[in-house]
Amino acid sequence: MPATMEGGKSVNAIEIKNLSKSFRGLYAVDHLTMTVPVGAIYGFIGENGSGKSTTEKLICGHLAPDGGEIKLFGKDYRDAGVRVRVGALIENTGCFPGSSVWDNLKMQAINLGLEHANEEIQRVLQIVRMEDSAKIKFKSCSLGMKQRIGIAMALLGEPALLILDEPINGLDTDGMRIMREILVDITQKYHCTVLISSHILGELEKIATHYGILCQGKMIQEITAKEMDSRARVFVSIKTKDMAGAAHILKAKFNQVKEVGEYLQVLDVEDTESIVEYLLANGHVVNEIKKNKIGLEEYYVDLMSKKEGK
Amino acid sequence: MEMTHELKFDSPSFGERVKGMLGVDFYRLFHTPLFYIFLVIAAIIPAMILGTSNTDASLYTNTWQMICAQTPLYVVGSMGDYANMNMVFMFGGIMVSIFIGNDYRSGYVKQLFTTHAKKQDYMISKTIVGAFSMACMCITYLLGTVGAGLLVGTSMQVNVGSLVLAVLSKMVMSLGWASLYTFLNIIFRRHFGISIASSFFFGTGILIIGAAAILGNTSVLNIFLYGSSVYACLSATVLTLLVCLAISALWTAIYILLGTRILSKSDVY
Repeated sequence: MPATMEGGKSVNAIEIKNLSKSFRGLYAVDHLTMTVPVGAIYGFIGENGSGKSTTEKLICGHLAPDGGEIKLFGKDYRDAGVRVRVGALIENTGCFPGSSVWDNLKMQAINLGLEHANEEIQRVLQIVRMEDSAKIKFKSCSLGMKQRIGIAMALLGEPALLILDEPINGLDTDGMRIMREILVDITQKYHCTVLISSHILGELEKIATHYGILCQGKMIQEITAKEMDSRARVFVSIKTKDMAGAAHILKAKFNQVKEVGEYLQVLDVEDTESIVEYLLANGHVVNEIKKNKIGLEEYYVDLMSKKEGK
Repeated sequence: MEMTHELKFDSPSFGERVKGMLGVDFYRLFHTPLFYIFLVIAAIIPAMILGTSNTDASLYTNTWQMICAQTPLYVVGSMGDYANMNMVFMFGGIMVSIFIGNDYRSGYVKQLFTTHAKKQDYMISKTIVGAFSMACMCITYLLGTVGAGLLVGTSMQVNVGSLVLAVLSKMVMSLGWASLYTFLNIIFRRHFGISIASSFFFGTGILIIGAAAILGNTSVLNIFLYGSSVYACLSATVLTLLVCLAISALWTAIYILLGTRILSKSDVY
């Protein structure tokens, strides 16, 4: 749903121009420019040390930038009115281990000056599916629970922007699923923009509407999920009895054929029928064939390879 | 027709922001054992000192010497001249360091600074909570002194008006001390141990005692926190309270300004 500010002016949730941050002379964020539209789930991708967390910390005001401009919803990122509507989960939840889940949430609710703190805490505990765990001490919670409490903390006060640094790291399959459902809920029901960094690209792909790909502190590409989908290369995976022979035959007709695991991949081809006919005509029986599209992970690897000139 | 969602951002006022942060700090103060432990420590210290020093009759002849000296003694001649209510500021420094250190160690400071862009709110809130804690410690120290005095049987003779003014003056000084400790903890925020050690070091007043050894028993030293704390003695008048109020407020303003500047210009952690 498009968003406007008071007065009908259309804005982006995050607008960063030429942002830089260095540590001991080395740029962690190097003249970065990025735009996150309102309502997006923006997947922030990059290898370790690419500047994702530093950028998030700069947006949250935890680090002082060397230069550049950060605007949140069209206002300076230090504006108190905007900042009370930013929630973040960066590195750790920021909870006191000896205090209960409820007390930790209560403190953040007081900090935000929420009028109906108890109701609000109930609401966020429900969103993160933890309404029965309020009395547990934070230090007794599992990693998955701690991550969800972190999200609950960030959700207090109905934030307009949520910044999450690797929230699904270390979670089991079920934990990832729950986290995914929570994030989709947040954007759909509460019109919240989410900036999320993760190394687990397969999971990110399931929820993100936009991507920003970082390398050595620089933004190398910003792309919507739709654009990526339309640009993504298609391929056909084949399994035959004689893989080496089939590969030889296929390479004579198709430009890119490679062996990946127990499959042969024929890139940029969608017509499975013609491949089966061609292989049969050359004496190879196809045991298994499926049509695929290159996912986020392959897209990212491909992009990085091109950048490094491989 | 496409639906749009209007976003509203109402800026909280200075009062609302500080109220929120103070609310968190007081909630934490009352819901964790740290504060209560230090209240007990403050009560036990005078009882221990008075109880164990009754063998040395020259050290404490009057119970109220445990609160402060008869006249401002910047030059320390004996343990009896030194070990009084000013020790609350020493132990209070450790308490404030642990309290602020826990903000950083738990990562809670990130939550605070994500939603509160204004660094001065943090300085003000920590100073007020630290001052409140030390003022409460002054009260439990007083109670501990009275209890120990009654048990040991040292003289209770005192000018009540001056005693009340001296205790009030020391409680007022808590504000200045709390701002100093908050400032020190901002400087050494990445080093928990150094924060505690530096707070304890300044809390001992060793720098002022050293300066007094050179300059003599001069009231010029009242411009410093420890000097004014010593000035609040058993011959205190309303002027003493006013001096303590002015010095405490002055240093509080200086440390809050400096701390805010450092926090604004540097990385939070």
